[in-house]
Amino acid sequence: MIYKLSRIDGVILIKENERVCIPFDPANTDYQAYLKWVAEGNTPLPAENT
Amino acid sequence: MPYGTVNADVITTSTAGGVLGAGNASIMKNRIINGAMVISQRSGTSSVSPTDGQFSVDRWKCRTDITGKYTFQQNAGSVTPPVGFSNYLGITSSTAYTVPSGGYYFLVQPIEGFNTADLGWGTANAKTVTLSFQVYSSLTGTFGGSLMNAANNRSYPFTYTISTANTWTTASVTIAGDTTGTWVGATNGSGIEVNFGLGMGSTLSGTAGAWAGASYYSATGAVSVVGTNGATFYITGVQLEVGSSATGFEYRQYTQELVLCQRYFWRKSGVASAVVTVGSGMAYNTTDIRCTLPNPVIMRTTPTIAFTGSNFEYEKAASARGTLSSIDSAYRSPEASMLYSGASTTATTAGQGAIWYITDSASYISISAEL
Repeated sequence: MIYKLSRIDGVILIKENERVCIPFDPANTDYQAYLKWVAEGNTPLPAENT
Repeated sequence: MPYGTVNADVITTSTAGGVLGAGNASIMKNRIINGAMVISQRSGTSSVSPTDGQFSVDRWKCRTDITGKYTFQQNAGSVTPPVGFSNYLGITSSTAYTVPSGGYYFLVQPIEGFNTADLGWGTANAKTVTLSFQVYSSLTGTFGGSLMNAANNRSYPFTYTISTANTWTTASVTIAGDTTGTWVGATNGSGIEVNFGLGMGSTLSGTAGAWAGASYYSATGAVSVVGTNGATFYITGVQLEVGSSATGFEYRQYTQELVLCQRYFWRKSGVASAVVTVGSGMAYNTTDIRCTLPNPVIMRTTPTIAFTGSNFEYEKAASARGTLSSIDSAYRSPEASMLYSGASTTATTAGQGAIWYITDSASYISISAEL
């Protein structure tokens, strides 16, 4: 599982053939999963420069 | 009585003996969304082996401790649905698997707190509810499920019986509301989770017919669908309503049901050999083309936006189309979002107008605010 910071806000979960753009919203279940992933000691990749 | 009156939970009409809600009247009595399994935005009628947490037909989430133990499909097996229904959610076991003590296989619909707060669960005024449904299985025996709170520390396991294999059976369970525990009130959180067991470990199963301060997703001793290779479990007509008896299923117009589902998920799909418009916008700079994406209904919360496939294009003028890549979204809300591209293949001028398209059926945008 690879998360990458978004250029503007949120994070992107990179999947095969899919980009999942997740907002920083505590009520969003994908964001809750991301926070759990971070709490496990993981760090997202930096945002793209394009 | 000459005109309609309201007495307790019964609305009587001016027609002699006429009672709204006793038949199939649609008065939003059913707290379940897509109980007739009509809406299937994600997978259509395809058979899918779900990962844990993947949704099947709309609002029905598959939980699977290990992937590959069962498949889901709208109208699996193509059996005749029960009278009054056109669709059902079909589960087919892929293995003969003995579920370990902590294993879990079940279907769940989390009901939003706004739609359950009036039940008063967690208070002395907790209302009694009745869960009813139509079920069909190649197996017979005592099956199980439960109602549960969002914190997974209050649950009510229940059982129901299928006596004849491969025959639609009507089941109903009446449950006295929980007067203790913490239940989500009038918020966009998960109010009540309705679970149907497909195979449950012993530590996640409890005694049927009583509230417990535990995470029981099904009843002890219930039939395990995933325990028999090729076993089928089909369900439709799921209704959760206030009261101590089941009333007729609340049929909704297709558009009503679709809109209710779209509060949690909707999809902008591409079409084979055709161009589908996503939205209109402008060039932010020479490589970044942006557009707006309004949601068809105010969603439960700020949604996740997933871009699947690669056939996303923009058009800025006649015969001037380019490919969008590194797509992202920002400035999102439950009402709308802004989409932007990290790069495009045709140079643009800042401020130039543009339209986003999807140009292939293998590409689509999924907008999700599910519980």
